[in-house]
Amino acid sequence: MRKYLTRSAALIGVAALLTLSACGSEREGTAAPTAGGSAAPAKGFAADGLIGVALPSKTSENWVLAGDLFTNGLKEAGFTSDVQYAGASTTVADQQAQISAMVTKGAKVIVIGATDAAQLTTQVKQAKEAGAVVIAYDRLITNTPDVDYYIAFDNFKVGQLQGQALLDGMKAKKPEAPWTIELFSGSPDDNNAGVFFNGAMDVLKPLIDKGDVVVGSGQTDVKQTAIQGWKAEGAQQRMDSLITSTYNGDKKLDGVLSPNDTLARAIITSVKGAGKDIPVVTGQDSEVESVKSIMAGEQYSTINKDTRKLVAETIAMVKSLQAGTEPTINDKDTYDNGVKVVPSYLLPPVIVTKDNAAESYANDPKLAPLTQG
Amino acid sequence: MSRIKDLQKNLFGGTTSNARQFGMIFTLVAIVLLFQIWTNGLTLTSGNLIAVVSQYSYILILAIGMLMVIVAGHIDLSVGSVAAFTGIVVAKTMQEFALPWPVGILIGLAVGALIGAWQGFWVAYVGVPAFIVTLAGMLLFRGGNQYIGNADTVPVPEGFRTIGAGFLPEVGPDTGYNNLTLLLGLAACAAVVWRELKSRQTRREMNADPAPMWISVLRMAVMVGVIVFATLRFAGGRVGTSLPISGIILIALVLAYSHYTRNTIGGRHIYAVGGNARAAELSGVKLKRVNFLVMMNMSVLAALAGMIFVARSSASGPQDGLSWELDAIAAVFIGGAAVSGGLGTISGSIVGGLVMALLNNGLQLEGVGSDMVQIIKGLVLLLAVAFDVYNKSQGRFSIIGSLTRPFRRDDPSPPTDRPSPASDSDKAPVAG
Repeated sequence: MRKYLTRSAALIGVAALLTLSACGSEREGTAAPTAGGSAAPAKGFAADGLIGVALPSKTSENWVLAGDLFTNGLKEAGFTSDVQYAGASTTVADQQAQISAMVTKGAKVIVIGATDAAQLTTQVKQAKEAGAVVIAYDRLITNTPDVDYYIAFDNFKVGQLQGQALLDGMKAKKPEAPWTIELFSGSPDDNNAGVFFNGAMDVLKPLIDKGDVVVGSGQTDVKQTAIQGWKAEGAQQRMDSLITSTYNGDKKLDGVLSPNDTLARAIITSVKGAGKDIPVVTGQDSEVESVKSIMAGEQYSTINKDTRKLVAETIAMVKSLQAGTEPTINDKDTYDNGVKVVPSYLLPPVIVTKDNAAESYANDPKLAPLTQG
Repeated sequence: MSRIKDLQKNLFGGTTSNARQFGMIFTLVAIVLLFQIWTNGLTLTSGNLIAVVSQYSYILILAIGMLMVIVAGHIDLSVGSVAAFTGIVVAKTMQEFALPWPVGILIGLAVGALIGAWQGFWVAYVGVPAFIVTLAGMLLFRGGNQYIGNADTVPVPEGFRTIGAGFLPEVGPDTGYNNLTLLLGLAACAAVVWRELKSRQTRREMNADPAPMWISVLRMAVMVGVIVFATLRFAGGRVGTSLPISGIILIALVLAYSHYTRNTIGGRHIYAVGGNARAAELSGVKLKRVNFLVMMNMSVLAALAGMIFVARSSASGPQDGLSWELDAIAAVFIGGAAVSGGLGTISGSIVGGLVMALLNNGLQLEGVGSDMVQIIKGLVLLLAVAFDVYNKSQGRFSIIGSLTRPFRRDDPSPPTDRPSPASDSDKAPVAG
């Protein structure tokens, strides 16, 4: 018995050593190419190359939809895909680990919808050094020189469209100036909030200066108009106070610039609560409740950012990278991430009012039924 | 039969390795091999190993502190929040006062010590259960993080990022490897051989039976083999990478704390308190001080882990540290610590943490979604602890357990295994 054990133990030991030495010698093969192949920009890659897609957690329908579209789209295009969501409780750390894993697997292109745009510097650098192309999807990755492309909807354009829709809506109701409006903007800690507001002011400012448009309360500074955390109750409170302070008598409010649908509905709730006529209220995001509200004639407009289009354009970008050609870029100087200006492809957003809702949401299985009748 | 036991005891984790920890090492090896095959050899590539170490070093650092907390019979739910709080304080102060980054690290450690003293005070001197104190701390410091950081992400300077994302520099002749990592590996091999010979000598001097020569040789061969393999992997990554700095910090902490918990009076006191607090106190252990120090130590390590994460992420954000406490606690229990305290080892917790880390990494390499990863990790945790509970309820009759008992009788109790005053007879056999 003892002998047997001794012998078997010795055998195990020898086997272990053999395995180890076998693994040890294998490393020359694996390390040499990695050591040499640093940071050379990809000049095209195999048609079935691996494309990594790292998305935030599945908390919003938009991301779930995007993930499915990526999985199917990349498969149709002949790529091998790895689409990952960050876990709901440990988003940042999960996403970091997922991107590292994609790099290890040799992904040629990594598309990242960042959970926290400033906390991916190390992983993006790692990807770049391994020769992968990094595309920031929807959210610009900041504080790093290693982002290659940025693809998103044009948020400045969103603001401009909102401003224009506000004017159009008010003109339709009351043909001649002056119109009285109030301004709302998004959370001050969200980069996009300022971009939306500036876009809208790009349209409204000339008219305000001319006196055609009057901001009833005089609050035009982004600090005064901001709603912390994009919170509905914040917008409702501010609107309540504005009605009390400015619109208590017969003074009429013609329009409200609202950066998104959640705030728009809160504003409408507040106005209704005060027993006033509902003014022209803008929005964004095509939320189900707001589309219903638009069809019911309460909210005036929203913005449709079609995830399908964004994903399709991203896949087109991946295809041109695969072929070794430079992908289409339409903005080379707007999106500065703190280290470099990231070449961007911006998709035009679409304004949606009651008139064009049916047409705009025709391809959207969830919203299309709401626009019928 | 004692041969196998010799092997088990001498090869892995010294004298306090219990059945589960022993089993966990095999699980770890099995997981590595499984994923190595499944991912076509990706798991053990240099790049992946380096990534795993830098991704999980902060969780493993937390596991060190958590092991001591759990051994002492407490729990710390606040580590993630403490880490996040420290991260934002350090990032903010460095940003606003343009402090050099080493000062930032010192501030972070000081913040950790202060928080630890606060929690230790309530646990040790007021007598509020640690579960409650740290549950409060979890809320307190998460809120603090968001209050100070305005729920925003604050970047940290380049130099600071070294502790989380840095590597050893490339120096000396071009050997095709990172030379400093090679040197570290060489030193580790020398240390293993020296330690082995030293312990044989000590045992002879104490007239104890040294382990049979073949075991010593085998053990050295296996350890040296593993170290050589790891060294070559870590040294052979892409140019500019090596064993990560965070990994070096981790190894230094593991060595220091293993020595402390195994070989010093202060360290053994922790086990005594966890085994039977009353008995420990009666035999002269300063109960309050042990509890205070254990809680304080945990927060300092949490602060360090938080800074490493912030350094690696290059910014401190509002979501840092979410559910880290659970990862750390899971690592400790998978690594063989007892829920009731008094049992467990640092090395066991590290193995437990590595099991989780490699499981996570392997599943991610395979492209398994984070939902399934969480389900699998949950099952692993449950099964690991269930295995232990089952063994206990069966009077510890398990294959390994039954091998353990005959061996224990003729175990010439080495100096490191001095039975602590509190190890009650129920627990001692498993501990040994």
